[in-house]
Amino acid sequence: MSFIEMDHIRKSFGNLEVLKDVSLHVEAGEVVSIIGPSGSGKSTFLRCLCQLETINSGSIVVDGKTMASTPAGSQRAVYAPAADVRAICRRMGMCFQHFNLFPHMTVLDNILEAPRVVKKMKTEEIMPQAEELLKKVGLWEKRDTYPSRLSGGQQQRVAIARSLAMDPDIMLFDEPTSALDPELTGEVLRTIQQLADENMTMIIVTHEMAFAKEVADRVIFMADGIIQEQGKPEDVFEHPQNERTQSFLQSMLRF
Amino acid sequence: MDYLIQIVPAVAAGLKITLQIFVITIVLSLPLGILMAVGRISKIAILRKTMYAYIYVMRGTPLMLQILFIYYGLPFIIDGFTLPAFPAAIIAFVFNYAAYFAEIFRGGIQSIDRGQYEGAKVLGMTYIQTMRRIILPQVVKRVLPPVSNETINLLKDTSLVYILAMNDILRITRSIVQRDFDTTAFLVAAVFYLFFTFILTKVFGYLEKRYAVYDE
Repeated sequence: MSFIEMDHIRKSFGNLEVLKDVSLHVEAGEVVSIIGPSGSGKSTFLRCLCQLETINSGSIVVDGKTMASTPAGSQRAVYAPAADVRAICRRMGMCFQHFNLFPHMTVLDNILEAPRVVKKMKTEEIMPQAEELLKKVGLWEKRDTYPSRLSGGQQQRVAIARSLAMDPDIMLFDEPTSALDPELTGEVLRTIQQLADENMTMIIVTHEMAFAKEVADRVIFMADGIIQEQGKPEDVFEHPQNERTQSFLQSMLRF
Repeated sequence: MDYLIQIVPAVAAGLKITLQIFVITIVLSLPLGILMAVGRISKIAILRKTMYAYIYVMRGTPLMLQILFIYYGLPFIIDGFTLPAFPAAIIAFVFNYAAYFAEIFRGGIQSIDRGQYEGAKVLGMTYIQTMRRIILPQVVKRVLPPVSNETINLLKDTSLVYILAMNDILRITRSIVQRDFDTTAFLVAAVFYLFFTFILTKVFGYLEKRYAVYDE
């Protein structure tokens, strides 16, 4: 049994079917990159895992605990009780394209907020970890700064530290560098690489082909709401079998 | 000059009613307005629609009518239920202003980026925690200017209580003018209103400055 098992996921927005029977299993410690053209459903897929979207049908099982399942013969997914779903989701951290830091709080308070509010921890209890995390992303000196004063790359690193402060077992990244100036992507990618080196289980939706190739154990190519091809980065990038993958990679390389 | 010294304390006697109504209304209607705003955008249809209807009625009818209704109309609806003038006025003001504040807060809440809810949700916060800790503190910054406006309106609207024969600044002033055939008292009243508006402007200016420590 894999750490994360998403099977036969279907998701529609109105009449538009975004995910058409997508299945993905991820092992503990594995780093999976999802690439593909925009509108392919890759972000939606990630958002379904952490409950920012609800699936229409299929099943999601994390570490043996069922979050959602679809009874045989039914077209509708049934979710576990809200408390169970919340407990499963708490094991995941998520970083967004636009960071979604809390603008009214300093960098440090952004880190401390969720442990304080969700885990009911005292500030002193979290402080050592907060300091360690901010040092890890190289922003301890910026702890009393408000997010708007930081560059995009710094904001994303704070967002990563904020997620890590909840001690997640799984980190999800939804195009973490898409909103950044090119010269700022490196610092964020290095932080993610560091997590990979520490054996964090990660699913990364990205447009950074070179990074996906470098960091991922497995690359998934999605288009039109289905997984078109997957495999080791070398295989997918150098010997793509699927026609869609070939044309996508070609168009990416043209620049 | 002698005349001024004589009428200023008389007009000032009306301060008590004016300020009591002002302060009590602010203290009660702001939190009530926030709750109504949350109800107004709730996923629970009955709550949302009730709030919509309520706000529509309160904003769509004159405050004066609402004051008269609660004072004179209520005894006919709830048999023999009469309220003294002061509580009747307070009820009308609080429920009227809560409706206006609710609309201001609703706009503020809806102007917050969806990413803030998502950021809070993936960190494990509940809806109530998200509202209290993440959304509303940011809303406060955004709604300060319209709330300031509405607060200054309230200061002047307090004069409507003359209809219930309550001796606020303006009613006392009018009686002085009618008694002495001299309009100086009107100027005195104006200065009082301007003085308190000045203080309110300063208070809101201070709050806006305090919230300016962060940009969005």
